[in-house]
Amino acid sequence: MIRRFAPTHAITLGLVLCVTGYITWSAVSASSTLNNLVVVAPVAVLLVVLCLIIVATALLRPEPDPQEAHYSAWGDLALLAGFAVFCFGLTTVGFDVATFLFVWAGVVVSGGQGKWQPPLYAALFTVLMVEGFGALFPYPMTTLVL
Amino acid sequence: MIDHFALSQAFDLLFSSFSPWLWVIPGLLIGLIFGSIPGLQISMAMAIFLPVTFGMDFLQAMLFLTSIFTGGAYGGGVTAILMNIPGSSSSIATAFDGYPMARQGKHNEALGLGLAASVVGAFVGYILLLFLIDPLAAFVLKIGPMEMVVVVLWGLTLIATLNTTSMPKGLLAGMFGLMLSQIGMSTTGVMRTTIGNPYLIDGIPVVPAMIGIFAASELLRLRGSNFLVEDKAQRDISMRRILLGGAQIFRHPGVLIRGSLIGALIGAIPGVGSSVANLVSYGEARRSSRHPEQFGKGAPEGVIAAESANSSSEGGSMTALLALGIPGGAATAVLLAAFSFHNIVGGPSFIRNQTDVVYSIIIGNLGQVVLLAIVGLLMLRVLGLVVRVPLPYLVPSVLALCAWGGYGITGTIAGPLTVAVFAGIGWLMRRNGYPVAATVIGLLLGRMMEGEVVRTLQISGRHPMAYLLERPIALVLFVIMVLVLVGVPVLKAWRRRRAAAA
Repeated sequence: MIRRFAPTHAITLGLVLCVTGYITWSAVSASSTLNNLVVVAPVAVLLVVLCLIIVATALLRPEPDPQEAHYSAWGDLALLAGFAVFCFGLTTVGFDVATFLFVWAGVVVSGGQGKWQPPLYAALFTVLMVEGFGALFPYPMTTLVL
Repeated sequence: MIDHFALSQAFDLLFSSFSPWLWVIPGLLIGLIFGSIPGLQISMAMAIFLPVTFGMDFLQAMLFLTSIFTGGAYGGGVTAILMNIPGSSSSIATAFDGYPMARQGKHNEALGLGLAASVVGAFVGYILLLFLIDPLAAFVLKIGPMEMVVVVLWGLTLIATLNTTSMPKGLLAGMFGLMLSQIGMSTTGVMRTTIGNPYLIDGIPVVPAMIGIFAASELLRLRGSNFLVEDKAQRDISMRRILLGGAQIFRHPGVLIRGSLIGALIGAIPGVGSSVANLVSYGEARRSSRHPEQFGKGAPEGVIAAESANSSSEGGSMTALLALGIPGGAATAVLLAAFSFHNIVGGPSFIRNQTDVVYSIIIGNLGQVVLLAIVGLLMLRVLGLVVRVPLPYLVPSVLALCAWGGYGITGTIAGPLTVAVFAGIGWLMRRNGYPVAATVIGLLLGRMMEGEVVRTLQISGRHPMAYLLERPIALVLFVIMVLVLVGVPVLKAWRRRRAAAA
């Protein structure tokens, strides 16, 4: 058994309730006609009820330990943060440089061995992506070097 | 039902020279590659290669473009099985059981199952199209918003069955997806929840969201492992095991035939197509299975149901195009563009006046399906090598590919950012035992459902139940849905109780 209510579980439900509240408020403010609320209103009510059921169940009957709770979340969060920065950097820094840096760092963070292998692999992968995948894009693609 | 004279002319058109088949294998390869790379869509491949068809005759162009369509439909399933990344929304359900099979070292069997189910499904879809093109076209014309509501509701019922340990969590995940689908401009033109961001006017882009919540969040979880398949002995790509896996489809003929029929029927409905067909088929396979608890953990029936349905829906989607001149989705819209390049207008007059060409297209597609089996088998040896790539290299590479794929779909920074945001949401949900697939289903079907419900309300004068009684197809579908959802579990429980009493 773990703590009665895992912090990440509280964050998940909090996120669901915040998003639901905002979408419902925004939809009602925009128009309170049946046509506009035909999905939003019943789904919002159901979501609140389901959140209450899940919280009550978790407090009254502690959940079995979820598989994922066994390992540290910090490594995942670091990679996730890096991924978010990479996604943002694609159009600001350039697809080539952002991809090279992200793949290099990602290989190292994920346990890739050696000093020269990760940057060499990242460079080859970047060239392949820009010249191969990127060439198929029907949109302009920002690059800094290639 | 078949015009024999036109049929013999069709065989003559197809087999009197090799030229109609010249572009089929390149088309299948292009489809397989585009379908298996997240972010590169089949419709995009068809659009990119559309100008190549200017120099071809009509039949050659049709066979080339439809072979991209056929190859792409299977290609999406390959990455769903090997990396939990559905190449398109039509392969979502393939990942439910295909990926667990791959993680258990049964990737050869899963790939073989998927290929065989795709081949049989596509074959059934085109055979139905050949024999039933007229009645199917009449059926499509009778489909209105009320019928669509019932079909979409059927797809949504899968949400409730995706988490066997906690139904509230499964429902919450699905409802959250439905709620997220309400972001952006509504069907009636009301602007909601755009937070001043122009990228959200059309709502959340579904495919980047799907890539993020399915793939990116799963890749984060894989970070601690060394290989997709931990057991070294299981990492081999074995043609024998792929073929044995393929042969497994004959152990589940009911699942295969039902999936193919569901796919062909739902695929024929414009705008719904394979995205819903694979979900409905998977849900029905699970509901009717003797071992529903094995679904989601690597049940072969799950892969068969999903792949047979999404492949047979291709034949269904051609119904509306050939018989009515209506494109059912993006891919058939590109085919319609090819029609106009060759001064051909789809619809009843096309079927009446050029029956031989219509039959040639259908028979040509049946030939493509046979070629897909060969090309697919050869390609699987290459695509399956992904299980041998060390995860420290695979994880960041595929994450980068996901972000690029998001950009490939939207053409703006909104795509990669959607992938990143949904990767975070997916990570949180997986960590706490919420089925991310339910959220994707809600997101995918929510907009469709809202539009159809609003149209039904408008047509029925806000009396949808009375209107339902006036719509025989919707009523029949509704009754079947209720019988399947309520009647089958009640019957099973009664049989169990009777067996226990005996």
